[in-house]
Amino acid sequence: MSSDVGTFAQPVAERIRAWGVVGTVPRAAAAALVAFSIIYVLFVSNPPPEIGFGDWRTTTYGSALDDPGSFTQILLDALTFAGLLFIVASGFSLIFGLMRVVNMAHGSFYLLAGYIAYEVQQSMTGEGFGIPGSEVNTWEWVFPVLVSMVVVAAVGLIVQQLFLRWNQGQDLRQALLTIAISVIVADQVIAHFPRNGPSGVGGGNAVSLTWPGWTERRLDLQIWGVEYSLARLVMLALGVLVGVVLYLWLYRTKTGMVIRAGVDDRQMTSALGINIQKTFAIAFIVGAALAALGAGVGSSQGTVASGQDTQWLLNSLVVVIIGGMGSLLGAAAGSLLYALVLTFSAAYLPITSDNCCSQYSIVLTFILMALVLAFRPQGLFGRAG
Amino acid sequence: MSTLARYSPKTLVESVIAIALLALLAAGPAVFNDYWVNTVLTQTFIFGIAAASLIFLFAYGGMISLAQTALMGISAYAIGNMVTRGGAGGETKGLTLGWDPTLALVLAIVITTAIGLVFGAVASRSFGIYFLMLTLTYGVIANYFFGQVTQFGGFSPIAGINQYTPGFVGDIINHPDKLYYIALGTAIVVYMLMRYIATTPFGLSLQGLRDDHVRMGSLGYNVPLHRTLAFGFAAFVASLSGVLLVWWDGQIAPGNIGLNATIELLVICVIGGLARVEGAFLGAFAFIVINNYVRDVELPVVGGSFNTIIGLVFLVIVIVSPDGLMGLWDRLWRTFDRRSGGSSDAVGEAPPAEAMPQ
Amino acid sequence: MKKVRGWKLLLPIAALVALGAVFVPGSFASPSQASEVRLAIMTDCKGAFAFGYELDIGGAQAALARHAGGKVKNRKKPSAGMTGARAGGANINIVGYGCGDDTAPTAIKETRRLMDQLRADVMVGPLSGDEAVAVANYAKTKPTKTFIIGTAGSQDPTLQIAPKNMFRYHGDGAQWNAGLGEILYKRSGWRTAAIIMDDYSFGWTSGAGLIADFCAIGGKITKRVFPPLNTTDYAPFVRQLPRPGSVDGYIWVVGGTGTAASLKAFEQAYGAIDPSDHAGNLFFAFLGADKVVAPKVVGSYVGGFGTAPGLKTKQALAYEGAVKRHYPDLPAADGFVYNYYNAAWALVQGLTKSKGRVGAALQRALPRTLKSGYEVSDGGRVRLDSRRQAIQDQYPLQVVRRGNTITTAVVGYVPNVDQSFGGLFKPSSPAPGRAQPKCLKKKLPWQGKIRVVRNGVITKAVIR
Repeated sequence: MSSDVGTFAQPVAERIRAWGVVGTVPRAAAAALVAFSIIYVLFVSNPPPEIGFGDWRTTTYGSALDDPGSFTQILLDALTFAGLLFIVASGFSLIFGLMRVVNMAHGSFYLLAGYIAYEVQQSMTGEGFGIPGSEVNTWEWVFPVLVSMVVVAAVGLIVQQLFLRWNQGQDLRQALLTIAISVIVADQVIAHFPRNGPSGVGGGNAVSLTWPGWTERRLDLQIWGVEYSLARLVMLALGVLVGVVLYLWLYRTKTGMVIRAGVDDRQMTSALGINIQKTFAIAFIVGAALAALGAGVGSSQGTVASGQDTQWLLNSLVVVIIGGMGSLLGAAAGSLLYALVLTFSAAYLPITSDNCCSQYSIVLTFILMALVLAFRPQGLFGRAG
Repeated sequence: MSTLARYSPKTLVESVIAIALLALLAAGPAVFNDYWVNTVLTQTFIFGIAAASLIFLFAYGGMISLAQTALMGISAYAIGNMVTRGGAGGETKGLTLGWDPTLALVLAIVITTAIGLVFGAVASRSFGIYFLMLTLTYGVIANYFFGQVTQFGGFSPIAGINQYTPGFVGDIINHPDKLYYIALGTAIVVYMLMRYIATTPFGLSLQGLRDDHVRMGSLGYNVPLHRTLAFGFAAFVASLSGVLLVWWDGQIAPGNIGLNATIELLVICVIGGLARVEGAFLGAFAFIVINNYVRDVELPVVGGSFNTIIGLVFLVIVIVSPDGLMGLWDRLWRTFDRRSGGSSDAVGEAPPAEAMPQ
Repeated sequence: MKKVRGWKLLLPIAALVALGAVFVPGSFASPSQASEVRLAIMTDCKGAFAFGYELDIGGAQAALARHAGGKVKNRKKPSAGMTGARAGGANINIVGYGCGDDTAPTAIKETRRLMDQLRADVMVGPLSGDEAVAVANYAKTKPTKTFIIGTAGSQDPTLQIAPKNMFRYHGDGAQWNAGLGEILYKRSGWRTAAIIMDDYSFGWTSGAGLIADFCAIGGKITKRVFPPLNTTDYAPFVRQLPRPGSVDGYIWVVGGTGTAASLKAFEQAYGAIDPSDHAGNLFFAFLGADKVVAPKVVGSYVGGFGTAPGLKTKQALAYEGAVKRHYPDLPAADGFVYNYYNAAWALVQGLTKSKGRVGAALQRALPRTLKSGYEVSDGGRVRLDSRRQAIQDQYPLQVVRRGNTITTAVVGYVPNVDQSFGGLFKPSSPAPGRAQPKCLKKKLPWQGKIRVVRNGVITKAVIR
């Protein structure tokens, strides 16, 4: 037992020596900040008083001990949001990991897919705009999403074959080509969608996919009286499902092995006589299809509209930056951490008046990201460059 | 004759073009109409300077920084917060400190350079795509910071900043030619300074670690320090463009430093060509002209707005020339040179931007 | 070194020459034509309000078609343009449409392109709040150009900044919501409410109108929540709202892409929505989001947009008929169409009076009252105050079901709403923000004077 502690402690001491004072102090400060945030949420914060507002310890629900039910709900909010983030970002990460392409058109693929799924659902249900969930069955949700996945995967394949195949290894040039493509795709989407929108309203208007009816209820979790939205749990389940399928594909099939070999060493994989071009094409198809699946889920949860392309590109970048590029585990970890910090800082920033302070959560989130990167430039699970 | 012989024909041609261009620009307001002087060209210098700071880091230091737009914005926000005044008829956003514009100018440059040094120090151990991502994060933080922390501005613009200029600058609202010449002068100084720094011992070792930082490190060079200082210098240059931006635009908003603006600056650099500082100004010019003049054209069949056409133009430029317009020029020259049997003139130029350094 | 083939270089050279041919002619000064008014219409074609593009252009051009004899080129697509509009002996030449993305920097870039490059004399626009703040500051530096705001709802352009060459013939975001607070207090019996609003100037201004109106009659706002723009997941912000039961109601000022997303988050957090506990600003009823959101909130009260859908007055029907005649697909009662229509119509009247002259002459000649579609007070006229901001009638709405369709109905008529809310907002006071205005009980000019509107007819009864 003591030897275990010894081997664990030793590298830490060594690391501190290697970092020196300049390296250790900021790391210790960052660690202390993270530890404080966790302790604050779990124990320190207080619920608001009956009258007036509080001090730095006052939060909407108090600490996790004060209100374990709300804490559980907020935790589930974070986990389910992470599921959605993972679906979209894993595709982005896959393309980067294998092909070293920062696909700046990922957000535009999301936008295109969301509108396609919406149009198909509209024509299937024939309800016109704003269908109540109770009138949508599972197939009327799954089929539109599948259609959008196929279409967007095809678009992805065309983009890859036309614009990315002949300039492999020119990372920056490829990123710029995808920027140009994203400008074109986003403009075309706004020009032509939604087709089934309300009359007279121009393109790029916000529309919403409808979840199947059976998800429109709240499950009793049988703990602290917590009820939780089934739709959001489905979102998490889909995220986990995508993760498991991707894992099995990458680690249990021949294609997956080739892809992982390609991530590790492209030249060597090609030298072994493996058709790396075919593998790249597959990776791009899967990556684009995942953006489309994410769009299906995301626009059922919220809306799809002009301007969301940039937002989802940013979301994907953030996840991949935190988690490490090209790593499945990294995409999962990045989604989790991003969702946790965003959700908890919105819910647990102190209330010092009737108009403070959850709006600062987004700033806090990105400061966390800078901290991660400062100490692990390659992200949590990325390989050192 | 002997002095001329030391220069290659290409350098001579470039010098002649540069002198002719400078003469044309110096006569600017006499030659071009107001819109060209006050908008297209002034803006070219402003964004060209920002792009030059990015290209400097890449061409001499091997770093692609996506934080330059944010640094530009930080200096612009610093000025906006320091010079504007509140009260009736005054500005409603930001700190509205109402300080002396000259003091604010100096402080804005100092603050931005200091923040640049801190950013640079944190990022100095990251390379290649990781450096790019970390600097992108800085950019996003700056965008959200100014968007959410309403004390320093919030989502709406801090406006009316161009009323408060230092005495030696004077009234630029009614005399925008002044700003044109200031921007032109700053651009020239920045360009010369970058060319000069490249020849100093610092610049040479910077280029050394661009090519092989591991070897330079083992030779005893302080790699992180060199990169930090280079980043600090680039932040200084970006702060100048930020100052010019608020004077020109009169306002600053988070949209000026958002993801789209960051990407636009990168597009400017790539269109111009990342290998040479000249590319910054060429790229800015091309970008602004394309954005202003590709309008009211509609593609048959597919439809969509002029944005589709702008996207297509950029697509073509990136496909045709990986090194942007400057690279196109270099390639043209090489073709010409080979045909006429002359010698290639590639000595002392940065490597093409085909591959990002890892 | 790679071998470069000659033909590969031909293409880019050709492209550059073509580019040169495009911009060089435009770069040298050319004399401007006489008896011509150069008009720019500034709107959005990117970002969250991209769908407003055709609506805005259509609204403005419908007015030019009706009042200045313009010929519509394409009845389905307003942005195809218009010819032949004339007023005061001058040809109205539409030099360009501005393409903003609801941010200030792009608005300024486009404004410069329209006003400096294309040398427009008059701008109708922009579309949104922060854009108008930016354009107002630009307008200050160009006193000879005239700016008539399209449909922007921020307060500052005509209250704090108020350049002398800027006009607004519609209410700001706060004015649009006048009367709703009183209706919630009296009809829904709310005494306490929480508000969730977009964290930028339109959200704050629109929210300010609701807070001011609700608090003035005696209500209390117990919590204000501000989801940042472009929030992806609204769940954590919705959880900042007090739980159901601890307040009487919730007010939603979340726009565009966020309206449906934030309501879904509320449903998922607390179960199905009881419409009588919720009220919203115009995002519940207009801008296309209505159909996504409206089915969930049948019965909720909604703030207005300066228009009165379904109001059966002669003047309103004439306006709606005129729009339909020129652009059959345009929703005439949408504020995007209506406000741009009035802006362009005011311009036509101004030009007629100034005999086609622009600049100071036009600014003097622009009408200080305008007989616009849904106006009832003052003989059906909207009046401008001393800062050239409209004093306008407002119409709170309710989401209703009519047979199979869900639509909005006007429930109240709030006469003569001015920008100051009875002195609450002043040129020297800070613009609406997260903490501004405070919740104060106060006498508003229209308090107790809101008339009941039933089936599009304004009755004598007052809302109690």
